[in-house]
Amino acid sequence: MAATAELSQYDRAKSAAERAAIDASCRGPVLFFASAAVLWLLVGSLLALVASVKLHSPYFLTGTAELTFGRARMAHLQAVALGWATLASMAACLWQMCRLSRAELPYPKLLYLAGALWNVGVCIAVFGVLLGAGQSVEWLDAPPAAAPFFVTGLGIVSAWVVAVFRRRREAHVYVTQWYIFGAVFWFPWLYLVAQFVIFWMPVTGVVQPIVNWWFGHNVLGLWFTPIAVGTAYYLIPKIIGRPVHSYYLSIIGFWSLALFYAWAGMHHLIGGPIPAWLATASTVGSMMMIIPVLAVAINHHMTMLGHFHRLRYSPALRFTVFGAISYTLVSFQGSLMSLKWYSETAHFTHYIVAHAHFGAYAFVTMILFGLFYYMVPRLTGREWVSSRLIRVHFWCTSIGITAYVVGLSVGGWWQGVMMNNPDVPFARIVLYTQPHLLGRSLAGALLTVGHLAFAVSFAANVGGWGQRRSSGPTLFAQPAGQKA
Amino acid sequence: MDRGMVIFLGALLTFSSSWLGLIVFPYWQLGNEKPYQKGEGEDPYPRPLSGAELAGMKVYQHNGCMYCHTQQVRSARFGGWTDADGVERTGADIKRSYGLRRTVSRDYIYDNPTMLGTMRTGPDLANIGVRNPSDAWHHTHLLNPRSANVWSVMPSFPFFYTREKVTGARSDRALALGREWTVDPGYRWRPSDGEWDGIVAKRGPELVAQYTAGRAESIDISTADGKKRLLEFWLTTPEEDYQVVPNADGDALVAYLLALRKAEVPLPEAKE
Repeated sequence: MAATAELSQYDRAKSAAERAAIDASCRGPVLFFASAAVLWLLVGSLLALVASVKLHSPYFLTGTAELTFGRARMAHLQAVALGWATLASMAACLWQMCRLSRAELPYPKLLYLAGALWNVGVCIAVFGVLLGAGQSVEWLDAPPAAAPFFVTGLGIVSAWVVAVFRRRREAHVYVTQWYIFGAVFWFPWLYLVAQFVIFWMPVTGVVQPIVNWWFGHNVLGLWFTPIAVGTAYYLIPKIIGRPVHSYYLSIIGFWSLALFYAWAGMHHLIGGPIPAWLATASTVGSMMMIIPVLAVAINHHMTMLGHFHRLRYSPALRFTVFGAISYTLVSFQGSLMSLKWYSETAHFTHYIVAHAHFGAYAFVTMILFGLFYYMVPRLTGREWVSSRLIRVHFWCTSIGITAYVVGLSVGGWWQGVMMNNPDVPFARIVLYTQPHLLGRSLAGALLTVGHLAFAVSFAANVGGWGQRRSSGPTLFAQPAGQKA
Repeated sequence: MDRGMVIFLGALLTFSSSWLGLIVFPYWQLGNEKPYQKGEGEDPYPRPLSGAELAGMKVYQHNGCMYCHTQQVRSARFGGWTDADGVERTGADIKRSYGLRRTVSRDYIYDNPTMLGTMRTGPDLANIGVRNPSDAWHHTHLLNPRSANVWSVMPSFPFFYTREKVTGARSDRALALGREWTVDPGYRWRPSDGEWDGIVAKRGPELVAQYTAGRAESIDISTADGKKRLLEFWLTTPEEDYQVVPNADGDALVAYLLALRKAEVPLPEAKE
């Protein structure tokens, strides 16, 4: 990004040609991952709606074993976490790593195999759970038969990311590369350890939930978080054309995340039948997370300072900044939630569900949406067909997730307060949560509408059905002083 | 040194610390717990599940029951509230009779998977076998939870039950479900349009005769509206010659629920 002005006409043309060659090498496999991700997003949304409606209308689709609440809920998580978010994250890793390393993707055809294997795994996970092979291990509900597909697919993607990194022509290693490099190494290790200890050689008793939450929490912390944070580190400076606020801070942010996040999962078992020292150690880890969160927050938001007007124009920036702000908020909330007095009320309630969606959706998914709006046109050479569809997508998802998180947090908190008071009959708690759960379903429906708009946009772009635009990027509005 | 190697080693070290601290060390501390035997000749606690209970655990697992029900009783220091006299108290879980004491790791040594759960959309089940030992109650509740609590939002589980024609004597395992709950519109045996056409074709005149016996008007089953009205009548009329009995899954699940007796026996490590 340095000294763009001094680049000669010749250098500019050369680097544009280099970028075009990199994008061309990524086009096939990355779009394959991205398309599958969008499909799973739709599947996951439908399963979410089924599960959500069942919580306030228990007769909805009752009698169908395949769609009973427990199964629909497990299948939803598999579809969105492993189908949508992971496939989109893999696309994010591959493309950004190539761009930042200034290296073309080697042997792209093997990546099709990786994508296919991963999709077979997700199919086994989602349909296996619906057909009654769910494992009731949070985040690891997939039937164990899916594991070999996941491990192989993930192994190939990780190897490719490292291979691209090793072929880099750019001497400077940008912070996004640090995050991606960490993520593609942490996630396979996490997954293998969890599979091994929970399914292949099951450990006894409460060690299982301990491993379970170490995995479940770290999938968010050491897979989705580094990729989403890294993506924001790439997109924000790239779109506004300004370097990251403090490079030094970004490095502190990376290493403190690596050190502290991995320790943070045990607060899911606070007050549970585990040794007290474990929960305490985790609470310390969670509180220390304030350091990386603060570092990232300062960096992202200070980089944006003075450029917020651009949110009016750029779809990619708008989604990314929404995600970055959510990251700051949800992380501080997360640190707070690790405290015993807080968790005493929030634990076991819908408040936790709201928090999980705050992180996985308002932060990770929104940034991935932002990346799609930036990346896909560069891969297909085609602009988005309609700014109106993007607008529908943005407003439905941003209003939807805000309503979701706020409504369910309030409902969940009071649910916890009442649950802690044994004089309140359980019936009253169930009746109290009903309007909040109905609100959740409505918010979920809004999110689904947004996803449909996104899927139509995406299909039109990738399928080549939309018009090829020559007048520049699709923007929400025309920036002042710039001709159409 | 190569930058990639620095990142790799750093990532390895930081991650290993949590792996050692949160996996290896707890495993070393808890991996070898044995059942507790108070004195000679007394039954050790806990005991492993067997037979139908084990099969029922699989039903519980595969249907994701854990996502609404926890199986852990929190300590008396958790769950603060103020009672009617304005006195601060704790121990809501125990006060709600979820268990006699908090659950500790030893309660779970035979569980695989250990389904602690993290959500209480429904009540805690750690001790449900002691709290509600009636298998008949569990069966009618599973078939339609509204039959036990009208406010319940738990799914109905008709697929754990079979509707069958009574041949000879009624089965003594048949559920005694109130009539208004047997016609739950969600039940599997509410016929689809095709099935209903089949029933009308076969038993139409007989059903119309039943209908007209009780009232002045009649029904014309050749019209769609007539068929629909006959269906409503059919659904709300008791079927004396049919009974609902648990299938293998239903039996197993109830056996498992009745075997859930955690936090029932005092343990030395759970004083509070």
